[in-house]
Amino acid sequence: MKEDLMDIICCPLDKHDLDLEVDERDDEEVLAGSLVCTECGESYPIEDGIPNLLPPDMREDAPA
Amino acid sequence: MPGQPPTDDDGRPSLATQRDTETVYQPAADSDLLARTARSHATPGDRGLDVGTGSGYVAETLAEAGVDAVASDLNPDACREAAARGVPAVRADLLAPFRDDAFDLVTFNPPYLPTEPDKEWDDWMEHALSGGEDGRRLVDPFLEAVERVLAPGGRVFLLISSLTGIGDVQRYAHERGLAGEIVADEAHPYERLVVIRFESQAEPGH
Repeated sequence: MKEDLMDIICCPLDKHDLDLEVDERDDEEVLAGSLVCTECGESYPIEDGIPNLLPPDMREDAPA
Repeated sequence: MPGQPPTDDDGRPSLATQRDTETVYQPAADSDLLARTARSHATPGDRGLDVGTGSGYVAETLAEAGVDAVASDLNPDACREAAARGVPAVRADLLAPFRDDAFDLVTFNPPYLPTEPDKEWDDWMEHALSGGEDGRRLVDPFLEAVERVLAPGGRVFLLISSLTGIGDVQRYAHERGLAGEIVADEAHPYERLVVIRFESQAEPGH
């Protein structure tokens, strides 16, 4: 994901801001890392450059 | 869905006709109508979101028209397909992880085929096609949430089939303060496809 995506995304649970924690990046994009809610502390993974912002209870069992 | 042979007794396109090894719904007449309609109403520089993007076709069409487009889907394979088209992708449950007032343009081609519970499959393609018993499994929650993410003056383009009940969807939206107008209308075998445009009720400048 590109960092400007931070302008439009938020925590799916409480709509608060997210902090970006980068594990791996190239010139353009964050490839791996996490997005952590500044309010509730929930952490959302960035996998293959795509943020997974599903609520935690939907992460494992989709499709549902 | 149009162009597929029906196999149900009642003449509806059944989910079985769609079933193959794909896990991501590929562009069909419904995607094309939504993409063409939204593009014709888009302004370069608009910030856009394509919900349930599937292959990413509608989002890519908006990006080609100069929209700053983002694609979202529940299905990780769909997110990867959209990203491969060069559209930023977010794995999301409808509109949940998007900020208030973030978008000038939101498009949604929802799963809309009414499906009896005993005919559903628990897999990604079923999820991309089935709208539940009334066809509105995702349409209703989308309509409840969409105004929150619309910028002042923002517009929504929702693809709906006559199989789902165009009037029912408009009534449901109207009850929630969304004024809808049909801006595209096409007859296909077994169904009529329309695009309904909804506008944010917030005053521009607020």
